[in-house]
Amino acid sequence: MTTTSLAIINARLVDPASGHDAPGGVLVEDGVIAQTGSEIDIDAADEVIDARGRILAPALIDLRAAKEPALTPDGETLDTLVAGAAAGGIGTLVLAPNDRSPLDKADGFAGMTRGLGQHGVRLLSACGATTGLVGNQMAEIGLMVRGGAVYAGNGDRPVADTRTMRRLLADTSQFDVWLSVRPADAALCDGTVALESDWSARMGLPAEPAVSERIAIERDAALAELTGGRLMIDRLSTEAGLDALRRARGRDLEIAATVAVAHLTLNEVDAGGLDSAFRMDPPLRSEADRLALVRAVADGEIDAVVSDHRPTPYDDKGEPFALAIAGTMGVETLLGAMLGLVHEGDLELAEALRPLTCGPADLLGLPQGRIAAGAPADLILVDGDMPWVCKPEAFHSARGNTAWAGRRFQGRVLQTFVRGVTIHNHKT
Amino acid sequence: MTRAAFSYDFPHRHLVSVADLNPVDIRIIFERAAHWLAVNRTPDKSSGVLQGLTVLNLFFEASTRTQGSFEMAGKRLGADVVNFAMASSSASKGESLSDTARTLAAMRPDIMVVRHSATGAPKFLADRTGLAVVNAGDGMHEHPTQALLDSFTLAQHWGEVGGKRILIVGDILHSRVARSNIGLLNILGAEIRLCAPPTLLPPDVDQWGCDVFHDLDDALTGCDAVMALRQQKERMSGGFVPSGREFFHLFGLTHERLEACSPDVLVMHPGPMNRGTEIHTKLADDPERSVILEQVESGVAVRMAVLELIGGVIRKEAGA
Repeated sequence: MTTTSLAIINARLVDPASGHDAPGGVLVEDGVIAQTGSEIDIDAADEVIDARGRILAPALIDLRAAKEPALTPDGETLDTLVAGAAAGGIGTLVLAPNDRSPLDKADGFAGMTRGLGQHGVRLLSACGATTGLVGNQMAEIGLMVRGGAVYAGNGDRPVADTRTMRRLLADTSQFDVWLSVRPADAALCDGTVALESDWSARMGLPAEPAVSERIAIERDAALAELTGGRLMIDRLSTEAGLDALRRARGRDLEIAATVAVAHLTLNEVDAGGLDSAFRMDPPLRSEADRLALVRAVADGEIDAVVSDHRPTPYDDKGEPFALAIAGTMGVETLLGAMLGLVHEGDLELAEALRPLTCGPADLLGLPQGRIAAGAPADLILVDGDMPWVCKPEAFHSARGNTAWAGRRFQGRVLQTFVRGVTIHNHKT
Repeated sequence: MTRAAFSYDFPHRHLVSVADLNPVDIRIIFERAAHWLAVNRTPDKSSGVLQGLTVLNLFFEASTRTQGSFEMAGKRLGADVVNFAMASSSASKGESLSDTARTLAAMRPDIMVVRHSATGAPKFLADRTGLAVVNAGDGMHEHPTQALLDSFTLAQHWGEVGGKRILIVGDILHSRVARSNIGLLNILGAEIRLCAPPTLLPPDVDQWGCDVFHDLDDALTGCDAVMALRQQKERMSGGFVPSGREFFHLFGLTHERLEACSPDVLVMHPGPMNRGTEIHTKLADDPERSVILEQVESGVAVRMAVLELIGGVIRKEAGA
């Protein structure tokens, strides 16, 4: 139901891009924000929504979600992924390469991204940086960028070979796209399933020391300096890595960093019972790491927080912790988990929303992710206090693997708009 | 002390970790194991204690002695024992472990004895099937019956393990035997020493209630027992020590080096043994020192005790 003009009034208007957090509303005309503030001209609107003090914010932008391979018989489809994302308040979702769906073939890439454009949520795609994400042979990144790829990434695997990494950064620099690579030393993280810690040592789990991340960031930052490439740290997860990021930024490099919401809200103790639901790549880290990352979000050092949404073929992951497929679903719980940090007093609302809205938008040069006249009307209306319990069986997806199963959240998306059109309306 | 004197019944239907046991549980196991050890030395070994119960041996990793020991233990107690060689079965046909577990549970066994390469697999199977599970080794995590039989063997010599000084030397990092022994010996109040090159020790292992040495001669001083561990090549990626012969020169057990120990020092090895790498062949075969074959004998008795006690809990639950 498209309306040509829509007014949302009496909201708590939160726009991280401008730092605005005050009562107000918006007027939307033809999918674009025409007016913002407390003096909205409701006579001009075909439809008026009285937000009654609820939060009006830009719709979320998630730079990292996994797509199940096409035609997986009982899997998550793009339709259910989009429905879940819309319910989670996500207006723009970037499909990122992963082992099951490496997005590394230039043939048909443009057609695929055109097809993605037909969904209510704005679906974008990144492309694989190397063939099969193996890290040896560069993929045809240039052709895929022409076909609509918004950045190049290498999935969960670090690029082991320093020479290949150098060439990737040099190659991508000509297309002005980010190269997103997992910060891990390939040899130190090979075959590991946990952070090297007292817990993992006692459990006899193959573990990766935290310095692995630091080593990789220092190497890749040096190569970015050498080549002029744009380096995106894909899911920073340790304090040691954060220190390396700060030192690299001190050298005035183009370097961006994302963090997965799991690493802001969970730690290795959550995996203490060896529940496969908490098997992650990168693995869950220490509480000190988590707190350091939350502070980094508050300080604006993290450009984007990602859901790292990843459905697995078995809801219980089918295997014990050490052998289980890594990852958790995340599009429906991204905002709830972040609002948990707000309710706990760790983050201001605008600080929590910045890396979910204008932060990622600015990385990709997208006009949405902000509430300003002329910006696309990608918006969410949120009841910041509504309690709910994460129930995997209630997900839109056919899959149900989630690290937040049974968690109590406070704050729920009531309505999601993209281009001024309602794509999700919460059933009360 | 006899069983009745404990006025406490063994409460566990699983044996997943030595951390589940308290000192009384361990005494009960040792008391029953001593009984079975004596019975096993007679020509009349069979008993009907577990008659009617089915024990499933699920070995996802190849094993000769542990699987044989559990099989013999179950059979001597009168249980129906079924061996599933999982390494060559449905697991290799793409079935997930949770599906395998549900399938096997539908056959209504009573006790599953599980060995698996992954930490936590026995608990995973226990959670998903509700069956009683005995951990026969999970990855680098635990091997509780091995630790029990090691301490039981020592207790047969000493009466008490508490207060004795015991050294574990060799590949601690990859060893589930070491992890279970460190846990159990701490519960029993022994003084534990570890000796290995830094590459074969877990990080911060000195926090586990043991003293850490890199020099074998220092470590051996005053020890009452020494346990040698082999390098777990199958769990290693890349070399952790330069060579077997360097390892032997630095960390190999010999008669000469044992002179620093208590005069009655006992030498142990959980097997399989690499002679000339972690232990000199003459020492391994010295009946004055080596209790390696006693460990194997104790293994059957301890596993009989564990199966018997768990079987008792199962019957009590069924009766309740």
